[in-house]
Parts: sequence; C-alpha cells; structure tokens
Amino acid sequence: MSTSHTPVEANKVRNRVLIAIGAVVIIATYLYLVLGQPSEFAEGDFGQASLIAIIGYLLGSVLIAVGTIHRLPTTTIALVPVAIAVNIVVGQLSASIGLPIYLDSIGTILVGVLAGPAAGALTGALTNVIWGMTISPIALPFAVTAVVIGVMAGYAGRLGMFRRFYLAPIAGLITGIVAALVSSPIAAFIFGGATGGGNGAIVAAFRAVGNSLLASTTFQGLLSDPLDKVITFTIVVIILFALPSRFRSRFPFVREYNVFGKQSELAAPTRATRTGEAGDAAAASTSGDDSASTDGTPTPKG
Amino acid sequence: MTTTLYEDRESAIHRLNPVTKLVAMLSIIIIVFAVQIWWVALGIVVFIVVPAAVVSGTGGRLLSLSLKLLLPILIVLVLLQGLFFPEGTTVLAEFGPARVTVEGLMFALGIGSRIAALVLCSLVLLLTTNPALLMTSLTEKGMSPKMSYVISSTLQIIPAFQTRAQSILLAQQARGLRLKGNPLRRAGAILPLVSPLVLGMFTDVEERSTAMEARGFSSPATHTSFVVVPDPVGQKIARWLLIAVAVASVVLSLLGVFK
Amino acid sequence: MIELRDVAYAYPDTDHYVLDGVDLTVARGEVVGVIGASGVGKTTLAKIIAGFIPNVEGGTLDGSVAVDDVPISSLPLAEAVAQVGLVIQNPFNQISGAKFSVREEIVFGLENTGVPRDEMITRVTDVAALLRIDHLLDRSPYALSGGQMQLVAIASVIVMGTPVLVMDEPTSQLDPGGSRMVFDVISALTDAGTSVLIFEHKVELLREHADRIAVLAEGRIIHEGTPRAVLTDDRLESWSVGSTRYTRAARAARGAGIVHPDAALPVSLSDSTEYFTTQRTGR
Repeated sequence: MSTSHTPVEANKVRNRVLIAIGAVVIIATYLYLVLGQPSEFAEGDFGQASLIAIIGYLLGSVLIAVGTIHRLPTTTIALVPVAIAVNIVVGQLSASIGLPIYLDSIGTILVGVLAGPAAGALTGALTNVIWGMTISPIALPFAVTAVVIGVMAGYAGRLGMFRRFYLAPIAGLITGIVAALVSSPIAAFIFGGATGGGNGAIVAAFRAVGNSLLASTTFQGLLSDPLDKVITFTIVVIILFALPSRFRSRFPFVREYNVFGKQSELAAPTRATRTGEAGDAAAASTSGDDSASTDGTPTPKG
Repeated sequence: MTTTLYEDRESAIHRLNPVTKLVAMLSIIIIVFAVQIWWVALGIVVFIVVPAAVVSGTGGRLLSLSLKLLLPILIVLVLLQGLFFPEGTTVLAEFGPARVTVEGLMFALGIGSRIAALVLCSLVLLLTTNPALLMTSLTEKGMSPKMSYVISSTLQIIPAFQTRAQSILLAQQARGLRLKGNPLRRAGAILPLVSPLVLGMFTDVEERSTAMEARGFSSPATHTSFVVVPDPVGQKIARWLLIAVAVASVVLSLLGVFK
Repeated sequence: MIELRDVAYAYPDTDHYVLDGVDLTVARGEVVGVIGASGVGKTTLAKIIAGFIPNVEGGTLDGSVAVDDVPISSLPLAEAVAQVGLVIQNPFNQISGAKFSVREEIVFGLENTGVPRDEMITRVTDVAALLRIDHLLDRSPYALSGGQMQLVAIASVIVMGTPVLVMDEPTSQLDPGGSRMVFDVISALTDAGTSVLIFEHKVELLREHADRIAVLAEGRIIHEGTPRAVLTDDRLESWSVGSTRYTRAARAARGAGIVHPDAALPVSLSDSTEYFTTQRTGR
C-alpha cells in the first residue's frame, strides 16, 4: 500500500493537468477561430481554420475524457453507459417522431447534475464517440459541444440551479447559448454549414443577406440549441424532482454541493439497548478497532 | 448483439491490428484537413479508402451507408455554397438573391471532399473492426480499462434500451399518448417515455457497480488481458510512419506550404 | 473464516439501525445458511462482510467484522474483495456487461487483478466444467436465459478463488436441478477449505447442504443451530421464515391429532416417510 500511495498522488496531478490542458486547448481553439477571424475565403478556402478546428477540438475533448475517467468512482462509471444509451435512444426517438429538437443530451445533463462536471464531460464526449460508431461518424467532430454541455450541467447543479424548478430552464438557456457558440465553428469550418437539410436552409437564409459563414452558423445554432436545452433541462428537472430524495442523495456530489437544497440534519443514530447480548462490546467502533476476536475457533450455538 | 456497423468477415483489412486502422484513419483525416487540396482528398478516397472497402468485402455496405449519411450533406453543401456565396465574384447565373459563383462551387468542392474523406474513412474503420478487439487493443496500448468498459458496455445496452423504449412507446400510445400537435406538446409526450428508462438506470447501476468492485474493477494491480490481439512489427512501423506523415503535413500546412 | 461480533449498522442519513447486534461465525470449510424475511437486512449484511459497508456506502457501522482474523473494514476495498467473493442477488447486474462473450465475462475479475493469461485459461476452463457451462463460453452474455446468466454470474465470482464466499440468493433464477448443482459446487468448494455464507430461502436445499442455519430477524441472528434443529423450531413463523413442506405437513397432521404430539418433526422426504409410518396414532 505504501508503495501505491505516491503514484496515486502523481496520477491525480497528471489528471488535473490533462483536464487543464484540454480546457485551454478548447478555449484557445474557439478564440482563434472566432476572434482570429481567419482570412476567410482568401484562397477560396479557410486556410488553417478547418485544420485548427478539427485538431484543437478533438485533442481537447480527448484530453478531458482521459483526465476525467480516472477521477470517477465506480458507481459513476457504471452510470455513464446507461446515460449514453438514454442520450442515443431518446435522440433517435425524437428524430423518428419528428420533433424539431435534438433531445440527445438528457443523460449527459442528468449525470452532470448528479455526479458533477467531470462525469458530465465524460458522458458527453463518449456519447458522440458512440453516436459516431453506431449511427453516423458526423457526430464525432461535435464531441466538444457535448463535453461543454456536460460541464455546464455539472456547474449548474453545483450553483444550485436545480434547487428550484424554474431555475433549471434558465440554466438550460445559458447552456444552449454556449453550446451554439462552441459548435458553430465546427459547422462552419468543417461542414461548410451543411449539417442537415433544415439547418442548411437557415444558414442559406443568413448567407443570402450577406453574413459570413461563421456568423450564419452561429445564428442558426442560436435558433435551435437554446430551445433544445431549455426543454431538455426542464425534462431533467422534472425527472429529478420525481425521484425519491434517497436516490438523489446517494451521489456524493449531490450531498457535497446541496444540489437539491439542504437536507435536514439528522441526529446520530441510536441503538436499541438490549442486555445480555455479546457482553459490553457494543458500540465499539470498527474504525481503527483491530481487536476482533482471534480465538479462531467456530462457536456454533445449539 | 451489438449496434455497431461492424461486418464480420475474413479479409486482410479485417486482420489488421485495430489500432493500426484507427491510427490510419486519424492520420488520413488530419492529412486531408492539413493539405486542403480537393484532389488530394478525393485521391485518397478513390485510391485508398474505397479499394480498402472493396478488398475487405464491405464495399456494398460502404456505398449504401454513404448514400444515406454522406449524400444528403453533400447536396445541401452544394446548394448552400453554390447558390449563396456572397464573397464570390465570378457569377455564372443569378436567381433573385441566389447567385451561382465559381468560388462558391470550388469552396463546396474543397469542403465536400474533406467531409467525404472524414466520413468514408471512419466508415471503413467501423465496418472492418470488431469493437471488442478495438477496445482490447487500445487497452493494451495504455487506454484506461474504465474507458473500454464504458464504451463496450454502452454498445451492448443500446439494443436493450431501444427495445425497452419501443415497448414503452407502444404502451403509452395504447393509453392515448398523441405524437401530434405543436412541438412543445410533443416534447411533453417524451417525458413519460424517458422517466421509466431513467428510473431503471438508478436501480441497476448501484448493484452493478458493487458487483464490478467485488471483481476488482478498481484494483491497483496491473491489468492483464485475456484476449491477445496480434500486432506484428511491420504494423508498428507503419503506424509511426503514418503519424510522422500526419505531423509533417500539419507543420507544412501551418508554414503555409500548401497555399 | 468469517467472524461477526455485535455488528450494528445504520445507513447514511438515517437514525435507524437496520442491523443491531449480529453475532455469527463461519468456520473454514463450513457452509452457513442465513434465512430471514425479505427486507430484514440480508443484502446489507452481505455487503458488510464483503467490505463495501462502510468503505463504499458510508453509514455507521459498530462492532467487529473479521475475515480470516483481519478486520475487513481496515482493508482497502481492493484487498477486501481479494478475501471475499460476493455473489449478488440479481445475476443481470452481476455481470459487467462490457464483455462480448461469456468466456471474457468470467475472466473480467482476473484481468482486473492482473492474473497471468495462462492461469486465466486454466481457471475459466475449470470453473466452466464445474458449473457445466462449457457450451455457453462463446455466447454473448446478453443472449443467456436467467438461469444460464446466474450460473455465469456465480462462475465469475468463484473463478476469483477467494477464501470466503458470500452468496445472496444464488439460485433465484434456477430450476431444481440447477439449484442442486450449485449446492454441489458449494460443497466441493468447502471441501477445499472455502468458507461459504449463503442467504437462501430454499430451506430444503439448506437442510441438505448447510452445516448450520442462522435466522436473521429483528436486526440480529435471533436463532442458530443445525438445520434440523432450526427448521423444526416452533418460532420460525413468528420470524416470518418458512419451514420445509415436510415439517409443515407434519405440524398439520399433529394439529389434527393424526400423529403422536411429541415425536420429533421431519425435515426431509425420508424423515417424513418414517414419521408418517411410525408415529401414527391410528385415528
């Protein structure tokens, strides 16, 4: 055990560094693509913008996923596959019954709120990886958006946005705006605005009145993402409020940050007093108590 | 019972180490985005990606999947950039606010060839690579077993979830759920579908994590692997070469060589 | 060996002790069956012995829990699980769900604990032969029936070779033949020195295979003894525990005055045959 102590500490530092670098890479990529305003179309193409978009966002997402997975307890790890399956199945269902919204991040937001931003980020990243593996590889470049949504849901929970029913849609609105901003360079520089029929038509309309491609995909995103996230966050808060509080409070993150408000403080449990049972050894705490009986012989009773 | 696109066949491409295929896919995507010359991207598709699919016996699947996944995007791209490209100066035709420009069409060609390379390359990897072996070989190369667990487990529970979602949907429809009306009402209709799925996730997950812990899931011991994926030296060298070419293309691109 | 001394436990954020004064010993090579009404804390007790409570789930644990003379809660979870194998109640949650064949599923725990590949192959072959699931090894775990899944779940724990096994209703999905086979496997393991604590409501199987039976009620082991002594105890019903059908039939016969009132009650078919042939009052 003593030998495994230092590596564990070292790994913690390593994971933090990976997450920090990942976040910096994503933010730098976004700022370069938006503020740098690459000499768009100078050569009939974007110059390095597409390259920076795909490498920066993918690298950042991978670093965050790798850094977070080691931090998560097994209960959370076991929760993530189910959450991803909820994302994918409900997302497909929403498309198949013709809803105009995506509804593909319910699981990500649930995990973010219950288990924190790191868990939300991992769920988001792997949702797009698996969406890419099972339905369409086009989801892969958008992994960074899902990471951001998971992180934002986690911080929304931490800041108490799930304590009141009406606060969750507000958190959804903010998350939706950020998601639109983050994903618009991907839509513009990697897909040329052509991420789907309906979206393409909206982008065309903004282009027709003279906007740049990035501005057009941003406006298009702002028309769909905030609405989607307001509805998704509302669905999530309804589900969470319907759950018995003992389910919700099983998550250490929920307890630590009072995600659903203060739980009433309970007194220390008291034991029923019986006499003649196992002598007076009762109430000896196990922590640090190694005085277990060592006679080694079974004592079957009649 | 997996949901991936994998096609179980015997071929030289199938037999490649999954990590080799993954590195090849990522390298090709990076090269295509770094070089930014449309005929390079199309050349890679025509002379590398498509032949690989044909050799592996997945050419038919690749064709049908491209028609489904890629063609719609390319059509939208050509319409969007071909008709609405305000920066274009060489006008070929004009329809009210829409102007067909040479620059717009060239732009669509540049972007379209890269999207085609990205999508087709990923599809060939998925069609020819057993996801279980991909996870095993990535774990051998140092990926966390937890990552492998999450991805493998998700791939296998999706079909069960789809079945459950379908049966819940049918049950709700039988009880009068309407999937018509305005979007907000339809979104409301999703709620009774999602709640049972989520409740299920709470009840099972804790038990499953206990069982996994009891089987040493977070043991500090060095993980060993039951399945061994062959990884010949030739492929190791090929991977490093691919990575070197990809890095070189990025460096050259940033230096402005391809302009 | 498992030794529980005055164990009491309350879940986090509750002020109620679900277990309150549990004393129980399982010697090396012994099978002890625990019976009790549902909701009496069997699963909680299983998790305490396996080291999950309070290490993972928190709460307040009093008393001492020792496995082979080592207090289990003093061990990090990774070491605790190397001592105690835990078969949980629902086999569908026992399997990792991440493996694409039964063979790989069974070795999941061995991979995690770094067992060399050659040894994995030997162990998975042995355990599959023991539980007669050789023919399932190449199937997908998701394509198994409930009973097959349960055998795979048991195999995946037995393969770890822990000195102590805690099994929570390990035959719930199995037919009588399968249940009997599982108990035969348990007997083979105990012959090799494994200590087994088994939570089971099929009392007739316990009567046949357990060295002792303990009754869990009111948060403690309220009664303990040989299978025959416990299963014929008049208080079983007041603890909401069922007795064997032979005992129940004999009680009914005694109540009706058909048999002698003070003859020892039967707990098995042969007992029962003898009882009803020799103890009749002739009415």
